[in-house]
Amino acid sequence: MSDSTAYFFWDLGQYLINGITQGSIYALVALGYTMVYGIIKLINFAHGEFYMVGAFTGFFLIHSGVPFFLAMPLAMLGSGLAAVIVERLVYRPIRSAGRIPALITALGVSLFLQYLGQNLLGADPRSFPDALGTKTYYLGELMISSTQIIIIITTIVLMLFLRWLVTSTKIGKAMRATSFSMDAAELMGINTDRVISFTFFVGAALAGAAGVLVGMYYNTVEPMMGLIPGLKAFVAAVLGGIGIIPGAVVGGLVLGIAENLVVGFWVSTYRDAIAFGILILILLIKPAGLLGKNTREKV
Amino acid sequence: MDSTHALKVDALTMRFGGLVAVEDFSLEMGATDLVGLIGPNGAGKTTIFNMITGMYVPSQGHVYLGKQEITGVRPANITQQGMARTFQNIRLFKDLTVLDNIRLAGHFRQKYGILSSIFHSPNFRAAEKELKKEALELLKIFKLEDKYMHLAKNLPYGEQRRLEIARALATKPKVLLLDEPAAGMNPNETKELTELIRWVRDHFQIAILLIEHDMSLVMDVCERIYVVDHGVEIAQGTPSEIQKNSKVIEAYLGTANEEGDKQ
Amino acid sequence: MQIFDYLTPLAMNIGVFIILAVSLNLINGMCGQFSLGHAGFWAVGAYTGAAYSVYFAPTALPDFINLFIACGIGFSCAALSGVIIGVPCLRLRGDYLAIATLGFGEIIRIVIMNMDVVGGPRGFTNIPHWSNIFWIYLWVLITIVFVANLLSGTHGRAIISIREDEIAAEAMGINTFKYKTLAFVIGAGFAGVAGALFAHAQQFLHPNGFTFMWSVIILLMIILGGLGSITGSVIGAVVLTILPELLRFMGETVSQWRMVIYSVLLILLMLLRPAGIFGKRELNILKLLGLKRESYHG
Repeated sequence: MSDSTAYFFWDLGQYLINGITQGSIYALVALGYTMVYGIIKLINFAHGEFYMVGAFTGFFLIHSGVPFFLAMPLAMLGSGLAAVIVERLVYRPIRSAGRIPALITALGVSLFLQYLGQNLLGADPRSFPDALGTKTYYLGELMISSTQIIIIITTIVLMLFLRWLVTSTKIGKAMRATSFSMDAAELMGINTDRVISFTFFVGAALAGAAGVLVGMYYNTVEPMMGLIPGLKAFVAAVLGGIGIIPGAVVGGLVLGIAENLVVGFWVSTYRDAIAFGILILILLIKPAGLLGKNTREKV
Repeated sequence: MDSTHALKVDALTMRFGGLVAVEDFSLEMGATDLVGLIGPNGAGKTTIFNMITGMYVPSQGHVYLGKQEITGVRPANITQQGMARTFQNIRLFKDLTVLDNIRLAGHFRQKYGILSSIFHSPNFRAAEKELKKEALELLKIFKLEDKYMHLAKNLPYGEQRRLEIARALATKPKVLLLDEPAAGMNPNETKELTELIRWVRDHFQIAILLIEHDMSLVMDVCERIYVVDHGVEIAQGTPSEIQKNSKVIEAYLGTANEEGDKQ
Repeated sequence: MQIFDYLTPLAMNIGVFIILAVSLNLINGMCGQFSLGHAGFWAVGAYTGAAYSVYFAPTALPDFINLFIACGIGFSCAALSGVIIGVPCLRLRGDYLAIATLGFGEIIRIVIMNMDVVGGPRGFTNIPHWSNIFWIYLWVLITIVFVANLLSGTHGRAIISIREDEIAAEAMGINTFKYKTLAFVIGAGFAGVAGALFAHAQQFLHPNGFTFMWSVIILLMIILGGLGSITGSVIGAVVLTILPELLRFMGETVSQWRMVIYSVLLILLMLLRPAGIFGKRELNILKLLGLKRESYHG
């Protein structure tokens, strides 16, 4: 094998590692989008802001000396609660008004949280404290940092937990029933309002975890940090098939890897455009997403 | 004698994935026929309707409007070629006036372009004046001309039905399809509707096909009836023939929709 | 004369936003198609109009002719983008259309950011100052008359019918895809004009001035004024262009909270008064003056 081919494969491997790491983060955030959409057909624009809330909660906790293994679940709790509050106050009353009003309202919430954060916390990025230290491991020419390993492992753990939650618990079954048919679930005696709030909680908690992980990975947090990753995670959810939980994982990984491959092999200035490009392509070719089914709207 | 039917449906089949909703359904109508399509709930009537009107593309089969094949053609084009429909849950343009509802049905026949509209050219003014005149004349026939500036949503239910039928007729169709026109009506209103439908056929000299659950309407007004159950035709004939048909009676027995009952 | 130095740019800005609001309302309010990428069309018009003026405008021609040509170019390029984006996207259902247009708006911005010939991340400078109150408001008038007259005829009715009930409109023989695209392209075109006028007033353009946030602000203008009302869009544009200036008088801190206030306003409007100020109604000037008896809208 010639030198340049060898370098290509090492580079490819590196981009894949980075891509899977980034993709795991997208997947965690995408899960929240997809769960909420699956249950009430709302594109929660503000989801990226719950990620930000989690990141800042983690930031303040770790700064005050709380150990990582405690700060992480507390941050998840924080973002989960924020979501439940928003859902009760704003999303629940608007639910009956239709999809577009709900979308606009979600837009409003997103902007509110971003700019409120900016005004309260200052727009400047803050550096995330080094909670666990960073070690770098080498596999030949491939580098993988301890942070990356933590991200991937945490993501796997959380996803397994989610899978258990959705398939084996009573509330998980209620969630699935409600997203299949809200009316039927109501008739079965399921308190759909509570199920919906719980779905928001879980989705936002996962996003909050992602926020903390991102803080560790990139070492910064700032109030607007949820905007672009939020949009990208939404693209990931649509890519995999919005409303389908495994779809969010598939979409997140594909997006993360695609981004890193393009940035690595081509040019980084178009990085953000990749997500939007993928979005347009998927909406035009297969709006139901990679794992989705084509359903016809009945007249 | 011209053997072309006003509407001809040939072996229509609709499959949704593995489910066969309608199988091998055929129907023909002459230029001024009054035909009914009935069947128990879930029999496939609406699916057939949607295939004829272009909302679904049939898995198999053909639809002909006169000499023209319209299978799978988009609804707007089908209307432009002379087939109009009403909807079971009345789809008027609620926040628009009665007059606008009628005028919209005249849209595809308007010849002036956008620039004429922008500059309010003489062409535009003449065409709009003519359209308004025709619309008001039509409303007059349907006894709605006094309310031409009212919003459609403010009309009482019976008048909304009438307006919807008038609007469909404003597209100058050769075939009119009515989707459960008696839905939500009391016996008096249904009787008026029966007379209205007969009158429309006589006055406009068009073919009318209706889906209906209300047996009194169907038996009173239709000259021929097709009965479907589980997606297949089980009987065809005059009202008296259908009433005596054992298969039809069996299909309806045990369901809530017995003869004379309202939906 | 100091007051004019302050008020004139403000008035010009108001004019630009009136055109943006009215053009967006044609798409979102009249036709009922949710576009969240209007800033993209604004950007296309601004940059293409400015590129003409900076690189191609013959010095022999008087300024106002060149401005007119720049506006024409802005309109055409933005309208063309409208076709390119609209044809694939208008097939999508409501909320998906919103996201797709958002995506396209951002793609346009990122592409411009990467085009050094129009300044890229450093911005496009030295655009001649050819806009003035007269020309901007002439275009405001043109836009309003164009849209109002379009809506008074059969094409406009067809556009509105799509908002009211798309399935019924299709059943009435109206080619809904054609008219959605028409509304979209015309809306995009006029946003392009607003861009060209804007470029020749500000004299400087940067892709960060055409972000998604601006699409949301224009949207807020038409929701506030009333989706489906031209009068409402005008009022909404005026209010939301003057508001930040008023907030500035109340101090730096209040001004900083502008976007927070806007977002709360948006949420409250949705929850309490989604119809905005005018709903679908128009303030019919001619009727007010007793020159016309009938109104076309309920």
